[in-house]
Amino acid sequence: MAQPRISAYLPPDIDPTKAPLAFGRRALPKLNEELQSPELLTQQRALMALCDLVHDPEKVYQAIALGFLDNLKTLLVHHDQTVRQKTTEVLSIIALHSIGRRGLIQNGVLSALTGLLDDPVDICRKNTHQIFDMMAKLPEGAGGVLRAGLISPLVLKLKIELDEIQELILDTLCNCLRVEVSEALAAGAVTVLKEKLSHPSTAIRSKAAWVLLEISSHAEGKIAVCKEGVIPVLVSLLEDTQPEVQVNTTGALMFAAVTPQGRSSAMGAEGIPPLLKLVAEETSKARLNAIKTLTLLAEMPEGRQTLLDHRDTFQRCLDDPREAVQRAAQIAITVIEWKP
Amino acid sequence: PSTPEVKKQRKAQKKLLARKLSQEKIRPGTPEPVEGREHVYVQTELYLEEISDRIIEVDGECQTDEFLDRPSTPLFIPAKTGKDVATQIEEGELFDFDIEVKPILEVLVGKTVEQALLEVMEEEELAQLWSHQRAFAELRNAEFAELQRLEEQDRRIREEKERRRLEHLEKLRKQKETAEKVAARAFAQRYLADLIPSVFSNLYDSGFFYDPIERDIETEFLPWLMSEVEETLQKKVLGRMMLDSLIRMVVEKRLDEFSHPPPSHQTEAPAEEPRATDAAPQVSGEADAADQPVAEKEETDQPVAEE
Repeated sequence: MAQPRISAYLPPDIDPTKAPLAFGRRALPKLNEELQSPELLTQQRALMALCDLVHDPEKVYQAIALGFLDNLKTLLVHHDQTVRQKTTEVLSIIALHSIGRRGLIQNGVLSALTGLLDDPVDICRKNTHQIFDMMAKLPEGAGGVLRAGLISPLVLKLKIELDEIQELILDTLCNCLRVEVSEALAAGAVTVLKEKLSHPSTAIRSKAAWVLLEISSHAEGKIAVCKEGVIPVLVSLLEDTQPEVQVNTTGALMFAAVTPQGRSSAMGAEGIPPLLKLVAEETSKARLNAIKTLTLLAEMPEGRQTLLDHRDTFQRCLDDPREAVQRAAQIAITVIEWKP
Repeated sequence: PSTPEVKKQRKAQKKLLARKLSQEKIRPGTPEPVEGREHVYVQTELYLEEISDRIIEVDGECQTDEFLDRPSTPLFIPAKTGKDVATQIEEGELFDFDIEVKPILEVLVGKTVEQALLEVMEEEELAQLWSHQRAFAELRNAEFAELQRLEEQDRRIREEKERRRLEHLEKLRKQKETAEKVAARAFAQRYLADLIPSVFSNLYDSGFFYDPIERDIETEFLPWLMSEVEETLQKKVLGRMMLDSLIRMVVEKRLDEFSHPPPSHQTEAPAEEPRATDAAPQVSGEADAADQPVAEKEETDQPVAEE
């Protein structure tokens, strides 16, 4: 007897874990309804299908217009871990698109994600931090993260999280702290970062140095950095062999040395010899920052004296192909040779 | 013959047998064998044949075959006429696989490679953007640091200037103060230079330098003299006052007497009157007598008192 089913086996390219998609424009609304269904399996299958769909920007636009984000927000606190994991994955892919980011800010998803920071499942937390990271790369996103009051929890999490999540947190922090730094200082970020500077992983060290750079570019940050005694640690970190770490460390020192206390602290920590070494290397990425830091140190009389002997290093920097380095070297020479 | 019929026949035969057996028992048989002997049935024919109660029967059946359906007429295939022609698609005649597959393969592979290239390019672009952003961030940081350094420098210089200005102002102020002090000192000195002679002259004028005897006389003798004079004068004045009061009393009494109507006690009154008038003229006489010198003295007293 003829039957519509040709064989007992399903076709090979159907994924049983995904909900079947309706055709064309009906796909997303149907998934929306399925997401709200009380049955767990339906929700999970709908989420799996949604994960694949949101790679397309047009679908993202449609999804946001349909109000998917409210449903996803309710699903964030679901008791089943697969649902939560898939929801965070969907949100992180949405955050990769610019419409998605805007939608996330407008719907206040960031505050809903705050609750997920303590999730027992690693992947959920990782996805959550990825979302924060992507959001913080935008100025509005960084503002949103700051308004959601996420800085203090993030700083606290920095002490206890896994390494890869720590990297994400550090990225988020460094983008947010470019805007405003008082909250982080209140949460004791400088102490935490000081510990992270001696972490075995290169990425974490370089990112921690970058966050310190952003902190010390603000005035209150500079004071906090000097008070906590981070500058000697930074100076000792200059000996590190990894170029990214060097770049960020010299940058952080550069900003911290603007204040007189920072300068004296850096001088006291014998900062000049390693900085000179970095300047002398032709291909170092940290050259620009090192020159700037030495310029700042040369504002002090003792610094000027020491650096008068090393003027030829700066002369050689004038031949660097990058224009910024040349200018910096010029300024450095002017400052060194300045007589009161 | 069908099986029920066969069964019926067999049953009928059995019945016959059963009847026969029963009939045989009734019939008298041969006498019983002598002791030690046995009767045996024996056949005496030439050819022995087995005798049994059972009749040898042989079943024979006959049956007509079932009527078969008439078989279908075979297809009418007419005798073959005409020519035989065969055709066969040889290798390479329909299409050449290698040539035909090329465009399809090209498209497939091309699309795949293009997609892969796009993805790789996107990744590269992303990496480029990141590195660009890093470079920009570095530049920005450097410029920012420069800006802060210059700000810091400017602030220091301004502070220094401010401090120096304040110092200078302080210095000027102190200078002015000292100049004023010096001027005041000079002026005071000059002012006080002739202080001493003037002081002395003042003192001299006010009588601090005195001749002791003269002073003594002045301080002791003359006051005593003056007090004595005063006493004397006071006594005089007292006397005059007493006199004045006496006169006054008299005058008042007289006035009283003259103003009162004469009392009813005429005897006493005239007695008193004459006494009073006696006393009064005496008193008035004395008073008159004393009046004039008193009046004179009063007059002299008055000018004296006026003095």
